[in-house]
Amino acid sequence: MPNAQKPNRRSAIPPRWATTLLSWWGHPDTLEEVQGDLLELYDSWVQTVGPRRANWRYVANVVKLLRPLATSNAKEQYTSPSFLSPAMIRNYLTIAFRNLWRHKAFTAINIVGLAVGLATCLLIVLFVVHELSYDSYHANADRLYRMTLHGRLDEKEIKLAYANGPAGQALLRDCPGVEAVTRLRKEGAFLVKHGQEVIKEENVAFVDSNFFSMFSIPMLKGNRTSVLTEPNTLVITETIARKYFGQADPIGKTLSMGELGLFRVIGVCEDVPANTHFHYNMFGSLPSVKTGTKWLASGAYTYLRLREGYSIQRVEAISRGFVSKYMASEIQEFFGITLPEFLQKGNGFRFGFQPITAIHLHSDLDDELEANSDIKYVYIFSAIALFILLLACINFMNLSTAGSAGRSKEVGIRKVLGSVQKQLVSQFLTESVLLTLLALVLALGLVFLLLPSFNALAGKEFTSGAIVNGRMLSGAVLACVVIGLLAGSYPAFVLSAFKPITVLRGRIQAGSRSGWLRNTLVTVQFVVSIGMTIATIVANQQLRFIQNKKVGFDKEQVLVLHDTHVLGSKLNAFKAELARLSSIDNVSLAGFLPAGASSYSVDGIQVRNGARISTHRNKSYFINEDYLPTLGIRLKQGRNFSKSFPSDSSAVLLNEAAARAYGFKQPIGQQLSTLGDGTEGSKRTYTVIGVVEDFHFESMHQRIAPLLMFYGGNNEQLALRIQTDDLPSLLATIERQWKAQTDTPFAYSFLNERFNTMYQSEQRIGQLFGVFAGLAVLIACLGLFGLAAFTTHQRTKEIGVRKVLGASVASVVVLLTKDFLRLVVIAIGIATPLAWYAMRQWLQDFAYKIDMAWWVFALAAALAILVAFVTVSFQSIKAALMDPVKSLRTE
Amino acid sequence: MRRSLFIYLAPHLFGIIGENANVMKRALLGEFEEVVMLTVAILDEEAYGVTVTQEIERKTGRSVGFSTVHTTLQRLEEKGFLSSQMGGATAERGGRRKRFFTVTAAGRKALRDVKQVREELWRSLPPQTLQLITG
Repeated sequence: MPNAQKPNRRSAIPPRWATTLLSWWGHPDTLEEVQGDLLELYDSWVQTVGPRRANWRYVANVVKLLRPLATSNAKEQYTSPSFLSPAMIRNYLTIAFRNLWRHKAFTAINIVGLAVGLATCLLIVLFVVHELSYDSYHANADRLYRMTLHGRLDEKEIKLAYANGPAGQALLRDCPGVEAVTRLRKEGAFLVKHGQEVIKEENVAFVDSNFFSMFSIPMLKGNRTSVLTEPNTLVITETIARKYFGQADPIGKTLSMGELGLFRVIGVCEDVPANTHFHYNMFGSLPSVKTGTKWLASGAYTYLRLREGYSIQRVEAISRGFVSKYMASEIQEFFGITLPEFLQKGNGFRFGFQPITAIHLHSDLDDELEANSDIKYVYIFSAIALFILLLACINFMNLSTAGSAGRSKEVGIRKVLGSVQKQLVSQFLTESVLLTLLALVLALGLVFLLLPSFNALAGKEFTSGAIVNGRMLSGAVLACVVIGLLAGSYPAFVLSAFKPITVLRGRIQAGSRSGWLRNTLVTVQFVVSIGMTIATIVANQQLRFIQNKKVGFDKEQVLVLHDTHVLGSKLNAFKAELARLSSIDNVSLAGFLPAGASSYSVDGIQVRNGARISTHRNKSYFINEDYLPTLGIRLKQGRNFSKSFPSDSSAVLLNEAAARAYGFKQPIGQQLSTLGDGTEGSKRTYTVIGVVEDFHFESMHQRIAPLLMFYGGNNEQLALRIQTDDLPSLLATIERQWKAQTDTPFAYSFLNERFNTMYQSEQRIGQLFGVFAGLAVLIACLGLFGLAAFTTHQRTKEIGVRKVLGASVASVVVLLTKDFLRLVVIAIGIATPLAWYAMRQWLQDFAYKIDMAWWVFALAAALAILVAFVTVSFQSIKAALMDPVKSLRTE
Repeated sequence: MRRSLFIYLAPHLFGIIGENANVMKRALLGEFEEVVMLTVAILDEEAYGVTVTQEIERKTGRSVGFSTVHTTLQRLEEKGFLSSQMGGATAERGGRRKRFFTVTAAGRKALRDVKQVREELWRSLPPQTLQLITG
């Protein structure tokens, strides 16, 4: 036979480099037999012609057989189909469904956990995207700015969302980079009369004629650029048009606006989009209202549009000159001192310019058009969304890797039967992506279900359309696929890399290999859950503290009637009538109230204390003699206003903070004067007749500021101190009397409710935190439950052996539980300082705040341990109670 | 010398035959190809790269490179004259399998055709020329 070579002569080996060369560049399809043939020939050459020539021949042959560009085009005899062929994909799906169906509990835990996470995340994304989109829809939004006023006046910081009335025009005149300026004034609520109807409209603004060309609120009827030039003209939104005129064309119709008289409707615009920093629905022309011409006694919200390529810093630099250029004479006039003297005292003004898109999230000035949100909350919620999603993903990975223990044999068998790694990876990734997509479907269902309550919680008005739009949905699907791939990648690659021989011999405990990873992930989950629990408890404590703190007035049992000024001269009679009712203790004019809708007055105050004259800018109330008893505000010194002192029209009450601020040791009898609006006669001198105890007339974010109370009374609201158990009948009685006087709708509120709504945003945050903390705990528990189930399952035999050897149920439970509890304890150690720090930052916002007590942390820790224990022990007790015969019989 | 002569002549010969004979489609079969195929046929079940190379060397006395034989075997398989199958794992040659070749029906027909052409050529030699060559 020709192939009679000596297989034992292994001493001669062909040049290794040639062999390597061949293995790189030989034709892939014939490589095996060529290598074999050459080896065989080499052996015979060595015997016949000697090693040297054998080597030479070998190399020569190798070189001739190199086919560096050849690619395999052979169809192998048993090809494995491409891992992406349709048949394989169908197979992946079938197997995936079978697998998921077989482990129903596991699948359910996984899907529910992930769905809850995704739903939360979707809702938060909805919220965050909306928050970030504020005012960005305006044309040239990047060139729109709002001019704001900052400064210092007698040690008191001024930061106003509006600018001086003439400031905008001055800017347009002096600054070439400013393309346009538009102003907006708010004048409070109006009683709008149309025919017999009288409706109170809260959202009325007066704007310059170019308002609609600066802000992209589409005009449905009327000319966009030349509306609102004349006095007493009005642009209304669609909704308002429908409310007053139904289907009829509102153009040219008239509406009566409170004391301002008849307004002609000359335009209809679309409703102001929700993501705008103001939400007016009636726009009157600015000439309809009095706008002062004094810099120091007028104000308007001033917006400007820059020319392209002009920087706002240059505008700011120019605006710095305004104080000396325009305001010097007025400072002389109002304060009686020259500008240098004014500045020397540490006083001063300057202008700020905010990008319009930053107003909603970054602006927190006094007199904002609306309460703005805070970028902080966007960050917090984004973080929460990420955390919750992270928790859900961690669960997913944990359960998958834990579950892999049961599937290592499957992998082994598959590999033996010819599965290649790519196919296995695809198989596992298909399973996890399928799972995430199922979770997404469930999550979308949850979102639709929860949308109304989320809207209530977050104070937004999202429709289901906001989710079912292309971007949101495709983003969600994409995110899901990515999550599926990421979360599935660990088990997929680890499992598919198993060597069949070790797996089938049963050497690998797949679950134990990734132990440290799973432990870390579980710890992270609990850090997040515990942190959020602590945050929730602290936030709720603070809110309760605010609501229960003595506010300095008696907010219970005070009924506030709205719009009482419409009664005009009949008001006194009405008041007297109410006072006669047995269940009403006191009735007072109460236009100024410490909570909810209130009139608002700020005065420049000059105080002469000895030789020193100081100027202050303080809030003031106008009240009558019934006010203090009605609201339950106590007098500290002196006396209340009284009808029996005719001189009380030039008397003033101070709160304690004011007495302190003015440096009055003996406040009673001291004199102070108001600066007024600069006109002669608006400066008046008042004598202090009493000091009232400090009460919270502003929100608790601020320390109690000085407050002056003048004798007068504002008839926009009536406050009634009531004493009744039968509120409905009292209300009915009052309403009957109201109806007898006027056809204005009867509106009322309770002082304590108004007070609580002041902290609505904090309450919302508190509630949201509570919900999210609950979700985080839920997801973490789901994960823990699944994990406990798997480890217990893995240790079934061990438990059996232990029980046979005499272990008690309790000791087995401890054995199984302590691993998890250790993780929770570590998590507590990490979460506590983090949460403490974060919550301390949050509390900094409140002037009056609680101290964080140690028991809050202890409570959260105890809760976490309890929850973890209950979750795990459910599994471990079940395992511990199992008959060892059963567990040992398996296999 | 013989070899190169045949290579130069062969196309012309087949061209002549194609013009006047009944066989229309005949694949080209080079001389070396013919030798390789015949060797494969001789070796029967045992024909793979090494045996074919060694057998040719033994039978013809020519020294042939393995690479040439391998390439020819591949080409003949591509043409459909040979078919191949991997054998079982072997103990020697690093456990690598052998690729065994067998002559296909088309291959047999091609061999017969070549032989026939050659015989016809021999037959059509004038007797004196024949004597010159054989003698």
